[in-house]
Amino acid sequence: MRRTTVIFIAVIGVLALIVDFWPRLRLPGLDPDAGSRLIETKLGLDLQGGLKVEYRVNPVGDRTPGLADLEIVRGIIEARVNSTGVAEPVVVTSGTDRVVVELPGVTDTGTVRQLVGQTGRLDFVPIPVGTTVNAGQALDLTAVTECAGTGTVTTLCILFSGDQLDSATLGQDKNGGRAVNFNLKDRGEQLFAAFTAAHVNEQFAIVLDSVIISAPSITQAITGGTVQITNEGTIGGMPQQEATNLVNVLRFGSLPFPVEELSSDTIDPTLGKEFLDKSILAGAIAVGLVLLFMLTHYRLPGVVAGVALLYYALVLFAVFRLIPVTLTLAGIAGFVLSVGMAVDANILIFERSKEELRLGKSLPQAIEAGFARAWNSILDSNVSSLITASILYFFGSSVIQGFALVLILGVLVSMFTAITVTRTILRVVVAQDWARKARLYGISEAEFVYRPTGRAAIRRGATPGV
Amino acid sequence: MFDVIGKKRWFFAFSLLITIPGLIFILLTPISGGEAGLKFSIDYTGGTTWSIKFADATVTAEDVRAELATLGQPDAVVTKTGKGFFDIRLSKLDLRGVEPTPTPVPTVVPTPSAAPSSSASPAASITPAPSATAAPTTTPAPSATTAPSGSPEASASPTPSGSAAPTGSPEPTAIPGSNTQVPTTGEIGRIATALQEALGPISEQASLSSIGAVVSSDLINQAVILILVGSLGILGWITLRFRDVKMGVTALVALLHDVIVVLGFFAILGTLFNVEIDGLFVTAMLTVIGFSVHDTIVVFDRVRENKVRHAGEPFAEIVNHSLLQTFGRSITTSFTVVLTLTALLLFGGSATEEFVLALLIGIVSGTYSSIFNASPLLVVWQEWEDRRRGRLAAPRAPRRASA
Repeated sequence: MRRTTVIFIAVIGVLALIVDFWPRLRLPGLDPDAGSRLIETKLGLDLQGGLKVEYRVNPVGDRTPGLADLEIVRGIIEARVNSTGVAEPVVVTSGTDRVVVELPGVTDTGTVRQLVGQTGRLDFVPIPVGTTVNAGQALDLTAVTECAGTGTVTTLCILFSGDQLDSATLGQDKNGGRAVNFNLKDRGEQLFAAFTAAHVNEQFAIVLDSVIISAPSITQAITGGTVQITNEGTIGGMPQQEATNLVNVLRFGSLPFPVEELSSDTIDPTLGKEFLDKSILAGAIAVGLVLLFMLTHYRLPGVVAGVALLYYALVLFAVFRLIPVTLTLAGIAGFVLSVGMAVDANILIFERSKEELRLGKSLPQAIEAGFARAWNSILDSNVSSLITASILYFFGSSVIQGFALVLILGVLVSMFTAITVTRTILRVVVAQDWARKARLYGISEAEFVYRPTGRAAIRRGATPGV
Repeated sequence: MFDVIGKKRWFFAFSLLITIPGLIFILLTPISGGEAGLKFSIDYTGGTTWSIKFADATVTAEDVRAELATLGQPDAVVTKTGKGFFDIRLSKLDLRGVEPTPTPVPTVVPTPSAAPSSSASPAASITPAPSATAAPTTTPAPSATTAPSGSPEASASPTPSGSAAPTGSPEPTAIPGSNTQVPTTGEIGRIATALQEALGPISEQASLSSIGAVVSSDLINQAVILILVGSLGILGWITLRFRDVKMGVTALVALLHDVIVVLGFFAILGTLFNVEIDGLFVTAMLTVIGFSVHDTIVVFDRVRENKVRHAGEPFAEIVNHSLLQTFGRSITTSFTVVLTLTALLLFGGSATEEFVLALLIGIVSGTYSSIFNASPLLVVWQEWEDRRRGRLAAPRAPRRASA
């Protein structure tokens, strides 16, 4: 059984080393369609610089956005962000009504913000007879109501809005020219059929945020809900940019709920780099100090604990890269803190072992007793940390969650490394001849017993007078 | 043998000495309306922080403050940091670019007569898509709209976005020498432009954060709730594991001690040096709660063990002995954490300074309260309970450790 533990530890160690240091390693992701995923260290916005904006999705009238609506809004915002060509944007939902957009490296905030933040109210508007409108023209729809649109249109009204749009794609007209196709949902289909039947050769407009995007004329009644906008008479059909623009507007133009910008953060990339360098330096110093302390205070077991600590750092880093956990400043602080906490278990064990040695137990017995007796304290301590870290993780904001996740993973990994790994190495080391010296354990020769003695002797020794 | 329990009054007194001034400063916060006591960052109050550097190194914080006052920001807080950056704190601004203002068109469509139609599209027409099965068979006539093409006016009006190419409103004139990251749009853009006109170009912008009142309003309540839930979680766990509500409650009291010490310390720092607590502060508090109970657990674990071993001995002696046995390891475990946190504090940079400081104070306080508050309190409670039980069980109640 011990043999399998040794093999297990070795395998985990090798895997961690591969994940940590193999350049451009790719592993299959959880989602089989997404293909393999590049294993890399994800850095938060505060460490690489960029723009972060938090939006709240607001209710419309008596409709409150549910989680499904939140996901739709997130999807639309993500599509809008992607259309700007920003590298590796992160768009996530947070809580019940928040969408957080993170754009690493972006510091020119104006355009992105303007694009993402707008509600994008999309309307289909019949144009009154005798009026001609153009794309790009403003059309004030704030005080305008819905209408059936079957009679003669005299004033502006809205036939239906973007929520009746089903899908939009680039297509081809009958001459092979570029065109835009879109599909309507049931209500939109009926309204549009009735409207187009009564208004052939009249104009209608697709309006986004009170600006006309396209103002085609109706050539015939359209009953199937499947609509095509063409530019016949032009070679090649609609110009490429106009067509893509129109498809994008039809697809992503309209958010079902308005969004409101709650907070934003812009961090200069050089500042982020500075933070990263500093925290790595601080982390290295912290680990170094802990190793030095363990070595001077506990001698040989301290060295073993040091090895286990390095093993811990390697495994935890590999876990961060695998999941992946986005490292932020607070996350790195959590990592460094967890290093301090990871040796706690070792300290509890070694102190207890020392005590048992002084009570007259032999070295191997004392070490086993140290592990056995310290277990309760270690478990209770770690569970306490897990309780508070979990509360932070489940109820905190995204920055807090990053810290909490690092702490949770740190505690879990340290339970394995500080106990199993340390014990396994220590058992091997203690069995060696050169390891049987009292000064290697920081106690006096008189207190040191290497060979196991009879049980009775231990019992007597283990009951100290108070 | 050192008698911790016997000297418990001294240790309680010392805790009071530390917590009472802190409590006074904490209470100053609501009394003074935020003038003294805890200082909250924009995470809690809402607002804008902006870190910039002017090309002209002779610009002083007073210059910036005076200029901001003329720009409608009389309450702006400006501090100059080490590398020539100014940390500026403003009330909440709208950072968004100026949205294209919808042209106020009366009710009907503008320019019915002369307007040439459709900018880029000579003849946009609409038909059923060819794929549709329901498509009517009548061939649409080559679009009937009269459409002279190539209207120049389209370029003048803002292109609607939601598409690949948002152009936005007309660009404000850029200040020569200004960093490209400096905002030019929105209210902050107006301030940035005015500042640069008065004080010369801004050469670098380290960060710009803005938080609305909506995010922050519920944050303080949320923090209090998180800390309460965390404390109750610990109380539940300790009570469950040690099967003794006394241990749970005394551990909780020690935790509250630590929370007050850290909060009080920051209230004093806030009053004297304007040190602010930010969104991460609640994280530090909960981490302290989770960690400082470690030492309490180690002592209580040993108390439980010794109670079995030394059944019949006075409880105070059992606890005192357990304290001394675990003293070394309590100090050592806290020491390693203090070591790592000190390294972070000294070398980790300014961004996490307050966070690490809060952790450091909390953990030192946690070690003290575990040893010198939680355990003596446990003894006080146990002895009180024994006395009461003794009175109830009349003449000769055996003094025993509770089962």
